[in-house]
Amino acid sequence: MSVGTPKSLPTSGQKSINDISHPLSYEEGVLTPSPELPNTSSIGEKDLSLPNGTPVDTSSPASSSSLLNRLQLDDDLDGETRDLFVTVDDPKKHVSTMETYITYRVNTKTTRAEFDLPEYSVRRRYQDFDWLRNKLEETQPTHLIPPLPEKFVVKGVVDRFSEEFVETRRKALDKFLKRIADHPVLSFNDHFNVFLSAKDLSSYKKQGLALLSKMGESVKYVTGGYKLRCRPVEFAAMGEYLDTFVLKLGTIDRIAQRIIKEQAEYLVELREYGPIYLSWANAEDDELQKPLEGVAGCVSSCSTALEELTEDMSEDFLPVLREYVLYIESMKNVLKKRDQVQAEYEAKLEAAALKREERQAVPTDVEKCQDRVECFNADLKADWDRWQNNKRQDFRQLLIGMADKNIQYYEKCLASWESIIPLLQDKPDAKGESHS
Amino acid sequence: MRRRLSQVQQTHDTTIYVSEPRMADSGSEEAAVIENPEVAPEEVQQDIGGTGDGSSLLKKMEISVSEAEKRTGKNTMNMQETYTVYLIETRSVEALNEGQSPAPDTLWRRYSEFELLRNYLLVTYSYIVVPPLPEKRAEFVWHKLSADNMDPDFVERRRIGLENFLLRISAHSVLSKDNIFYLFLTQENGWKDVVYDTGFQAKADSRLKALNATFRVKNPEKRFTELKHYSDELQSVISHLLRVRARVADRLYGVYKVHGNYGRVFSEWSAIEKEMGDGLQSAGHHMDAYAASVDDILEEEEHYADQLKEYLFYSEALRAVCRKHELLQYELEVTALDLVSKKQQREELATGTVRTFSLKGMTSKLFGQETPEQREAKLKVLEEQITEGEEFVKSKTLECEEYVQNSWIDIERFKEQKNQDLKEALISYAVMQISMCKKGIQVWTNAKECFSKM
Repeated sequence: MSVGTPKSLPTSGQKSINDISHPLSYEEGVLTPSPELPNTSSIGEKDLSLPNGTPVDTSSPASSSSLLNRLQLDDDLDGETRDLFVTVDDPKKHVSTMETYITYRVNTKTTRAEFDLPEYSVRRRYQDFDWLRNKLEETQPTHLIPPLPEKFVVKGVVDRFSEEFVETRRKALDKFLKRIADHPVLSFNDHFNVFLSAKDLSSYKKQGLALLSKMGESVKYVTGGYKLRCRPVEFAAMGEYLDTFVLKLGTIDRIAQRIIKEQAEYLVELREYGPIYLSWANAEDDELQKPLEGVAGCVSSCSTALEELTEDMSEDFLPVLREYVLYIESMKNVLKKRDQVQAEYEAKLEAAALKREERQAVPTDVEKCQDRVECFNADLKADWDRWQNNKRQDFRQLLIGMADKNIQYYEKCLASWESIIPLLQDKPDAKGESHS
Repeated sequence: MRRRLSQVQQTHDTTIYVSEPRMADSGSEEAAVIENPEVAPEEVQQDIGGTGDGSSLLKKMEISVSEAEKRTGKNTMNMQETYTVYLIETRSVEALNEGQSPAPDTLWRRYSEFELLRNYLLVTYSYIVVPPLPEKRAEFVWHKLSADNMDPDFVERRRIGLENFLLRISAHSVLSKDNIFYLFLTQENGWKDVVYDTGFQAKADSRLKALNATFRVKNPEKRFTELKHYSDELQSVISHLLRVRARVADRLYGVYKVHGNYGRVFSEWSAIEKEMGDGLQSAGHHMDAYAASVDDILEEEEHYADQLKEYLFYSEALRAVCRKHELLQYELEVTALDLVSKKQQREELATGTVRTFSLKGMTSKLFGQETPEQREAKLKVLEEQITEGEEFVKSKTLECEEYVQNSWIDIERFKEQKNQDLKEALISYAVMQISMCKKGIQVWTNAKECFSKM
């Protein structure tokens, strides 16, 4: 029944939210039946607002009821149900008197009514992505917002404008927007819309601040002080999982870096090794000269293949790991916020319970808190499931990619060595004849 | 795993001129000329050095160094020492061919005895490129290999090297007939005394003498100069190759072993996953297998390194032959010069003219000429010396020429052997690399399958 819910939470005459399959929850292969939600109507009636006071617009398609119809939430299923496609490409360097920076082209194709046009192509720089992310965190605090690649390049050695760095960043930014575009709630966010469509983002940014102040409520959260009595098992498990997972990711990152380092040192030796066969070939007469030159050539090909492998791992593997570490950090923050919201509710509830005369009518304040908690939990749980699924796919792809790169490396080397076997086996008397 | 270093080829003689056989126990001056290349050496009528029946058996003898054992004993300084002995087994090929399997004759030898044998051969057959011994101490070691002489892997590789050494000698048309070699294989006790009794040590050229000749020789044969240059290059390039190969092995080891860490972390990670768990866990096992596979890979490569090392040491043997030539040539030049100078002295004495500065000339100028009787006496001595000198020059020239001819035959034989052996070594190296690549593809393909099940 009330598995995982703290005893202090009243049921309010309704079923605990935990017993109801949330419309946004995703279970592999089994889509939860949604129309039976007993409190659908009550969601629409209640004065729902986000913890920061921003009212939730339930009339928009983003409301739970229409979302019920969005049964396919997985972003790798057929594109037919997807109506928003975003890509990031074409990095360009801009040089001005004040600064030099890179912009990326953001392309959008959509059939959604929320957009005026079916297609957009705008230029954005990292700052803009950063702004978008902050806005999403502010306006959708109950959701897990995908991470951005690191803002600052820690090691001064890395060239911000090098092809490799820009390409790595482009891929990450592309991923970022795709994750948002595929999210059933985040993709409808106004700021996201503007980010994709507006010609002039900077004026909107300034305007946006004004809009926000109109809404009245600051984005700050419940100021601390509320102690959480009992974290639901579910969310505790999430926290524990994230803690362990981030440790494992850190270990994998270190291992990958170590391998890259060892491979780089291996490469240095190989580059000295190969040419020695050439100097030897020079001292020898024809019979040994060709075989020795052949071996030198093979070592050289293998060196090149190794270099490519190491570069690929550096560019494709490590950034994804680091992205996930950032992702997890932001997720843990969301979990903390959730705890805060619940703590506030519990505190207010307790305070209200002390005023025994008002037991019949639950104060709206407390009710609001309860709704906040329930909403938060629902959103978070849905996002968690979707995150788990995406994570599984991302890592499957990442690790398959790693295996593929290694296979390709060995295949290149194999081809090279196999090609000289006939040369090595050539008999001197067979000169002029084709070798076996 | 027993492994032969290379296929040791039987070689046939073309021509060998021996005027002064350098056998320890014979004084025979007969020349043995073997013209027909088709004739198998054991059918040669002149058994060089008169070694008796034993020598012809060598071509029909199966030889192996089958075991190694540790012994302890007192050494020459009466101190306790531990050393390794190697078991040499010999068997008659004839008997084997007839279907019998007689028990092999065996005896134990230690490394220093092999060294003694080789030193004897070097001195006695200075015109032959004498096969080298495996290294005394482990060199070109990559860090995982032990540099300890007592290490079982080192001992095993040395056993193979010693066997190879014996096989190469027994395959050599000249060396195989040597009696000392035969006794080395068959007579365990007292062999050392027999070797010392040959007095070969006295015949060895001193280092100083050889070095001196190298610097002062005026007209060494062009071929030898080139050969010396080649042997220097070979030595330099193979040492370099072996050094870098050891470093490459070290690095490769590092790369493979670090992947083993993936095994552990995937296993830990799989514990917190539901659907991904199995895939991760099995992929981890493949990573462990990958990391472990490098040990066998590198062990195989050691055999390649050993093949290269043999030729590294062979280059020294080549150098030794060149040095001997230089020495003989130098001695010839010195003898010839001496003769020229004596002839000049005779001329001066005979004609009374002093063409070259000499103390004699000066003193005679200062103190007066000698009496005709004195002059006659001197002339007579000089004449004798000149006759002697001429004989000496003749024999030295002959010695030189014979040396050049005989050594060049062996050098040609060596070149062919070297080309063949090294080609085979390169082929086996390529095959090793191919095998390593295939294993790598296999492991990563397996891991990929596991990942796709995640």
